[in-house]
Amino acid sequence: MNRVLRQTDLEIIRRYTRQPDRLPAVLRRAIEDEWGGGAVQLYALADLDASMRLAEIWLCLGERKLAIAQPAAGDTGYRLKIIDREQVRAVDERRGLSCNVLTLLGEPGEPALAVLRYTHRQRLAMENIRFVLEEALEGRSVPGGDGDFEYVDGLAKPIREAQALVTRQEMAVLWRLLGYLRPYRKQVAAGLVAAVFITLLSLAPPLIAGRLIDRVVEPVQAGTLSLAAGSRIAWIAVTAMALVYLLKQLCSWIRLRVMSVLGELVARDLRTELYEHLQTLSLAFFSRKKTGGLITRVSADTDRLWEFLALGAIDVSLAILVLIGLACILLYLDWRLGLIMILPVPLLCWGIFFHSGRLKKRFLRAWRKWSDVTDVLSDTIPGMRVVKAFHQEARETARFNRRNSLVTAEFNRIHAQWTSFWPALLLVIHAMTVTVWVFALPRLLGTGDVGSATLSAGTFVSFLLYMTMFIAPVETIGQMTRIGNRATSSAHRVFEVLDTEPEVVERPRPVRVDTIRGHVRFENVTFGYDGVRQVIRDVGFEVLPGETVGLVGPSGGGKSTLVNLLARFFDVTGGRITVDGIDLRDLETSSYRRQIGIVLQDPYLFYGTVAENIRYGVPEASEQETVEAAMAANAHDFVCALEHGYDTLVGERGHTLSGGERQRISIARAILRNPTLLMLDEATSSVDTQTERKIQDALDRLTAGRTVIAIAHRLSTLHKADRILVVEDGKITEQGTHRELLENAASTYRRLYDMQRDLARGA
Amino acid sequence: MSTVLQQRAAALLLERRSDGRLWAIRDGESSAVRVARCFPWSAPARYISLRDDRRKEFCLIAEPADLDEPSRQALEESLIEADFVLRIEAIVTLKEEIEIRSWEVETAQGRRSFQTKRDDWPRSVPGGGVLIRDVAGDLLHIADPEQLDAASRDMLSALID
Repeated sequence: MNRVLRQTDLEIIRRYTRQPDRLPAVLRRAIEDEWGGGAVQLYALADLDASMRLAEIWLCLGERKLAIAQPAAGDTGYRLKIIDREQVRAVDERRGLSCNVLTLLGEPGEPALAVLRYTHRQRLAMENIRFVLEEALEGRSVPGGDGDFEYVDGLAKPIREAQALVTRQEMAVLWRLLGYLRPYRKQVAAGLVAAVFITLLSLAPPLIAGRLIDRVVEPVQAGTLSLAAGSRIAWIAVTAMALVYLLKQLCSWIRLRVMSVLGELVARDLRTELYEHLQTLSLAFFSRKKTGGLITRVSADTDRLWEFLALGAIDVSLAILVLIGLACILLYLDWRLGLIMILPVPLLCWGIFFHSGRLKKRFLRAWRKWSDVTDVLSDTIPGMRVVKAFHQEARETARFNRRNSLVTAEFNRIHAQWTSFWPALLLVIHAMTVTVWVFALPRLLGTGDVGSATLSAGTFVSFLLYMTMFIAPVETIGQMTRIGNRATSSAHRVFEVLDTEPEVVERPRPVRVDTIRGHVRFENVTFGYDGVRQVIRDVGFEVLPGETVGLVGPSGGGKSTLVNLLARFFDVTGGRITVDGIDLRDLETSSYRRQIGIVLQDPYLFYGTVAENIRYGVPEASEQETVEAAMAANAHDFVCALEHGYDTLVGERGHTLSGGERQRISIARAILRNPTLLMLDEATSSVDTQTERKIQDALDRLTAGRTVIAIAHRLSTLHKADRILVVEDGKITEQGTHRELLENAASTYRRLYDMQRDLARGA
Repeated sequence: MSTVLQQRAAALLLERRSDGRLWAIRDGESSAVRVARCFPWSAPARYISLRDDRRKEFCLIAEPADLDEPSRQALEESLIEADFVLRIEAIVTLKEEIEIRSWEVETAQGRRSFQTKRDDWPRSVPGGGVLIRDVAGDLLHIADPEQLDAASRDMLSALID
């Protein structure tokens, strides 16, 4: 099966690992020539040499041969060692702290054919080769994989799973995020226009004040303007100023209102898109990602994006606009004094940026120490019984106090830093103000050099008022990196989920089935969750409509995987599964899943009432149908004994039910759904014997007349199965009725049965 | 207890055979074994477990000094691989990324790039120094952070005390 090489994986390798992203083409050709034409199927890098230094030694696997290649001395290509696969008699892998050793063994007593040492980074790729060799030694063949894919996937996987999204183009992420504003163009335009007006209007009052002093106050005081005319102009100016303030606040209101609502709308759109997309993703995705991380992406990350879209993006652009406006107007008023104010601005921005960087480092230390504190809490609170039983309260308190003191000291260092920085920054700004005064005073008083321009009091007052407006935008611009980083990291996490393709994909024109008969066939099915290692190998069996087939075998043998494949939570990697003769991959998933039912070992109840949980698959079911299903599942009695009966809240934050009670509700849920094809995954394994009997009764009623595939840990529950399949190591090793399998004294089934019987007797 | 272990060790022979593996021979029984230190950081010199191919303990060596010289030699050779971790001598770059921290370091074994999760902090180990585990599970050890150059120490300052 060839799989598509992900470009992001190649980028991960190039960016992070300092090792080739594929087997060098020249080496591949040389090896294939040496083999006489056979292709390299799989390969891995052994990155340690015999002296335990980092090295580049390739192990390549072909159909009949192996090759080991290491760079020849003097940069003259590679030195090859070819081994016939037939010579390999055993494969030995030893794991160390960071060095694994793969030894290819020949005849007993003979020197090893090869010894390869590698760090854990190479382990997945190396294990693929070991798996194929071991399978061959067992007489089994593994379908050829895509060597490039397996190597790249194995190498990139740990980094890919640790890091949401890998891209160097931070701006591209921000642009994509801003793309979500597209449906709200009008609101964005309104917000931006309001922001521009706020900037322009902010600049007006100081100018008006200056002009008022120069053209009204001073002339009136000097007697060159009449008091009446001066008063009239002054009142007009004051009214104008009031209007400007009013207009500015109106624009501020529009901007805040529009952008905050807009941010919420975009965050809502993102949350909806994210959640809808999550519903389409395969189970494999959810097993890879932690639930908490996914919840954070839907909640906290989208919320942080709201903050950026509603406030951050506009704040930064507004700050830039204000600074540009201020610079222009100061230069316009008096270019000499303007330069005194403007020239240090880049330095101030850099100072804030530098301070943020240092503070970030300090916060990192505090964060680390804070996690030490929470470690103690998460250790001791759940383990309080052990703490008390071993009388370790004093020691745990001392441990907590020690770490608590350390984190406090770290935060105090942070406070010391920022409390010193901001007064220092303000001092610089005040120094700029004083400098302006120093240069302005001679010109104001007319005592400067002959020829130096005079400065009017009004212009200077305007100037002073403008100077007070400098601090806020400088601070915002200094914080720009932090705002941008926070937004891009949240956007990364959200987009990673949105960009994940579902692994189970519906065909373009799937076959819709309104009613299935329940005729199931597994035909040479192989499956592997990861790479070339198969957990299901060449499995074939048939279940006729209405038949009950039991799956038994040791843990990890592949029983649950067979059920997962039949439910189409995953697609087979080889062979096919048919239902009523139709390949499962051709069926419309929604119409197929409507006709299957699954009862799991650990049933999941959603937060809601008992009735809502029973009706989960059929929300329109009536009270009577609900009660009948509960009766058939032996759940009615205990449900009615609850204070609120079927209206009792259960689930995560609701009434606590026992494992057996939850199981019977899940059986009622399956009964109500009335599936043609039913899968039971160890439905009775986690309950006591008395509860098991009640569940078994319920299951007997549930399974009547349906096609059933039941995984059972307790073999006694499979007495009535038409057929039992023993699944071991991904294969069906035995099959027959309960009686037939017991008759074979050497069978695994007989051994398991005897063990359980002995345990039951012992108990 | 330790007397019993000493007696067992005295009766134990170890040899590196041509197949590259360590073989243990005791009471006429021989097995290819792999070695694992029970206390790799707090007491690396003592308590070494020898485990067979089925990962069952073949023998526990409390005190390697109790072995004869050739056996001790063979054991030490095998421990080189089992104990191996990359030894950091300098930090070249250390970058904070979205959810990972990306490192480029100079090690005793050559230059290496690796990544750690952002909430996976370097931890002090009982025998001294600081241990870092990367996302692939490889371990990197800084024997004495104080001995690193100033630039490396500065980069590490947020991550260790």
